[in-house]
Amino acid sequence: MSFTEFIVSQGGVFFGGLGVAVAVFLSGIGSAIGIGIVGQAASGLVIEEPEKFGRSLVLQLLPGTQGLYGFVIGLLVMGQLDIGMSLANGMYLFAACLPIGFVGWMSAIAQGKTAAAGIAILAKNEEHSTKGIIYAVMVETYALLAFVISLILVNAVSF
Amino acid sequence: MAIVKMSQFSLFAFDDHKEELLKHLQRFEYVHFSNLEEDKDLTSLGLKGVRTPEGLTEVEEQLTRINSCIETLSKYFVKETGLKAMKKGQDTYTFAELEEKSHQIDSNRLCIQVRDLWKEREGHKQAIDKLMVQIGELKPWKGISSPLKDLDSIRDTELFIGTVPRKLKEKVITDLSEVEGIYYEVVDEDKESLYLLVMSYGQDAEKTKELLRNSSFTKAILHGEGAPSEEITILEGKIALLQEQISEIDEKLKELAPSLEELKLMYDYLSNKKLRLASTENFVMTEKVNVIKGFIPSDKASDFEERIKEALGSVYYLELEEVDKDDPNVPILLKNSDFASTFESLTSMYALPQYNEVDPTPLLAPFYLIFFGMMAADVGYGLIMLIGSMFVLKNFNLKDNTRMFLKFFYYLSFSVIIWGFIYGSLFGGIITLPGIFDPAEDYNTLLILSIAFGLIHIYFALGIKAYKLIKSGKPRDALYDVGFWYMALTGSIVYLLNIVMTMPPILKTISLVVMVLGMLGIVATGGREAKSVAGRVGGGVYALYGISGYVGDFVSYSRLMALGLAGGFIAGAVNMMAGMVAQSGPIGFVFAIIIFIFGQTFNLGLSLLGAYVHTIRLTFVEFFGKFYEGGGKSFNTFKSKPKYINLK
Repeated sequence: MSFTEFIVSQGGVFFGGLGVAVAVFLSGIGSAIGIGIVGQAASGLVIEEPEKFGRSLVLQLLPGTQGLYGFVIGLLVMGQLDIGMSLANGMYLFAACLPIGFVGWMSAIAQGKTAAAGIAILAKNEEHSTKGIIYAVMVETYALLAFVISLILVNAVSF
Repeated sequence: MAIVKMSQFSLFAFDDHKEELLKHLQRFEYVHFSNLEEDKDLTSLGLKGVRTPEGLTEVEEQLTRINSCIETLSKYFVKETGLKAMKKGQDTYTFAELEEKSHQIDSNRLCIQVRDLWKEREGHKQAIDKLMVQIGELKPWKGISSPLKDLDSIRDTELFIGTVPRKLKEKVITDLSEVEGIYYEVVDEDKESLYLLVMSYGQDAEKTKELLRNSSFTKAILHGEGAPSEEITILEGKIALLQEQISEIDEKLKELAPSLEELKLMYDYLSNKKLRLASTENFVMTEKVNVIKGFIPSDKASDFEERIKEALGSVYYLELEEVDKDDPNVPILLKNSDFASTFESLTSMYALPQYNEVDPTPLLAPFYLIFFGMMAADVGYGLIMLIGSMFVLKNFNLKDNTRMFLKFFYYLSFSVIIWGFIYGSLFGGIITLPGIFDPAEDYNTLLILSIAFGLIHIYFALGIKAYKLIKSGKPRDALYDVGFWYMALTGSIVYLLNIVMTMPPILKTISLVVMVLGMLGIVATGGREAKSVAGRVGGGVYALYGISGYVGDFVSYSRLMALGLAGGFIAGAVNMMAGMVAQSGPIGFVFAIIIFIFGQTFNLGLSLLGAYVHTIRLTFVEFFGKFYEGGGKSFNTFKSKPKYINLK
C-alpha cells in the first residue's frame, strides 16, 4: 500500500481526529493564557483587598468559555468519527473545527487582557465593576460567532 | 411607573433653625439639594456660601477613630457564622431610634481605651521581635560554656569571636594551628559560615589578627555577659513575660468586643450627621437667613411641607413649583412595579434616563426575561434558582440591594424553567423530557428563532424611538428615521425570504417595491441636517450604509441559541463522564455523584453568568443603541448609606 493509498483509505478518521484536537487545544490554550493573565492581575488586588476575591473570580472566569466552546465542538465531531469514514468527510470535519479553534484561541487572550483591565475597575471603583465584565463580554461575541459557524458546519453536510 | 415627577422647592429659613430643619428633612429622606454656590443669580446678589460647616472636621475625625477601633475590635469578636447569622442579618433602626441610642454611647472613651491597648500590644510585639533577633544572633555560640565576661578578662590574651566563610575552613584551621600561643575552637558551623572562638597570647595576638583578616573574618557582636546559652534563657524569659502581657491585653480587648455593636451604630449615626453637616455646603445665606433649593418628588409635596412646619413653626418661606421638563439638572428617581423594579439596576448601570425621556426599565424587562431564560434554559437549574432565591428571601434579613438582586433571579428562574421545558433539558438531559425542540438537532430552527427574537427586539426599540419623536412634536422625523427603516428592513427581509422559500410572486414584487422606497427615503432624508447638497447626498448614502449595522445586530442574536446550546452540551458532557465512571462498581458510583454535583454546579454558575452578561450586552448595545440617550443625574436621597445597620 502506497502512502497515497493509505491516506485515501485511512485519512478520513485521521483528519477528523485532528479536527477534534485542533478545536480543543487551540481554544484551550487561549483560555488558559487568558485566565492566567486575569489571575495575575487579580492576585495583586487580593493582597490588599481579599474581600474582592469573589468578584475578581467572575472576571477571571470570562476568558474560560472559549475553551468550553472548543470542547463542545470537539465532542460533537468525536461523535461523528468512524474508522471507515471517507477522506473528504474527515477533511470537512477538520475544516469545521478551524473557526472555533483559531478564534477561540486569539479571542480568549484578547478577552483576558480586557478582563485584566477590568480588575482595575474592581480595585478602584467596585460599584462599576460589572462594566468591566461587559467590556470583556464584547470580545466574546466573536468567539460565539465562530462557535455558531463551527457548530453549523459540523452538522450541515452529511456524507 | 416610570420616572418620578419632581417639584423644585425654594426655602428661606433662619440660620439658627438649620440644625433642627436638617434633622427633620433627613427623616423625610426624599430631598435632593441643588448646589447654590454655582448659582450666579444668587451669588451676584451678595449671598454667600455657607462656610465649611463647623463641627464637620470633628465628626470626620470621630469617624476615622471609630473606624479603626471597629477594625481592631473585629479581630476579637467571635462572629456568628453560617445560616443563623445570615438569617438574622443586620438590625433595623429608624432615625429616631438611632439618634436616641447614639446618645447613650460614649464612643470616645471606648475608642481611646481600645487604641491605647492596641498600641501597647503592638509595642510588646515589636519588643518580642527584637529579642528574637538577639536570640538568633546568640544561637550559634551556644557551644561556649563559660561566661563571655570571663573570657574577655583573661590577662594578656586577646579574644576573637566571629565567623569566617566555610569554604576557607581548611585554610583557617591549618593557619591557626601553626601559631604557637593560641587556643581556638570551632563552636559551630552551618552552610555558609564557620563560627570561631580564638584566643591568642602576647605577641602572637598581632599575628593572629593578621591571619584572621586574611580569611575574611567578621567579628560577631554578642550582647550580654554570661554564657550564650544562659543569655538565651534570660531572653526567652523576657519574651514569655511579654507574651503573657499580650494575652492579658487580648483578654481585655475581648471583654470590650461586645461594644462593637454600639460602635457600629455610632458609625452609621455619625455618617448621617456628617452628611447633614456637609449638605449645608449647598446653601447660600445672608446674614441670618439660609436660602435652600432643591428637588422633591411631587407626590410627597404635602408631606414635605408638613415636615418643615414641624421643624420651623411658622417662620419660613417656602415656594414649590413644577420643574421644567427639559432642565438637565432635574434629578432622576425611578419607580416601577415590583417586577420591573428589579431590573432598575440594569438601567442605572448603563445610564439613568433624562427627565424628558422614557424610563426604559419596564420596556427592557420582558425581553431580558425571555433572553436570559433562553440562554440558561434548564429545568434543573431554574428550579435551583427558584427554590434558592425563595428560601433566602423568605428566611433571611437582607440588605435592600441584595434583596433586589435575589428577586431579580427569582423572576428570571421562571423563564429558565419554561425554556428548560421547551428544550426538554433537565440537568443536561439526565432524565429525558419531551421538549418542543431538541437543541442538538433543531439548532437551525433555533437560530432562526433567535434572529426572529432579535428582529422583534430591534423593531420594538425603533418603535420606542418613533414614539419619542412623535411625543416631542417631530412626527416627520419619526417617518424619516424610523418609518423608512421599517420599510427598508421589512422589504429586504421578505425579499430575501423569497429566495429561500416559495411565496406568491406578488409578495416578491411588493417587498421589492417597499424595500426600494424605504431605501430611497433613507438616502433622501438621512442627510437632511447638512447644509450643502453634496452633504445631503453624502449623509443620505452614509445613513443607508447603516444597514450593515443592522445585519451585525441580527447576527449578534445568534448568541441566544449558541449559549443555550453550549450550556446544554457541557451539562451533557458532565453527565456522560459521570455515567462512564458509574459503570465501574460502587466506588465509581460515589465518584460519579461527585463528578455530577461538581460539574453541574460549575456549569450552573457559568450558564447564569453567561446569560446575565450576554443579555446585558444585547440590551445595552442592540436595544438601547436604537433609541436611548440617558445621562440623567441620580436623585440622592438625604440619607447616608448605612454600613452596619438597616435604616428605615
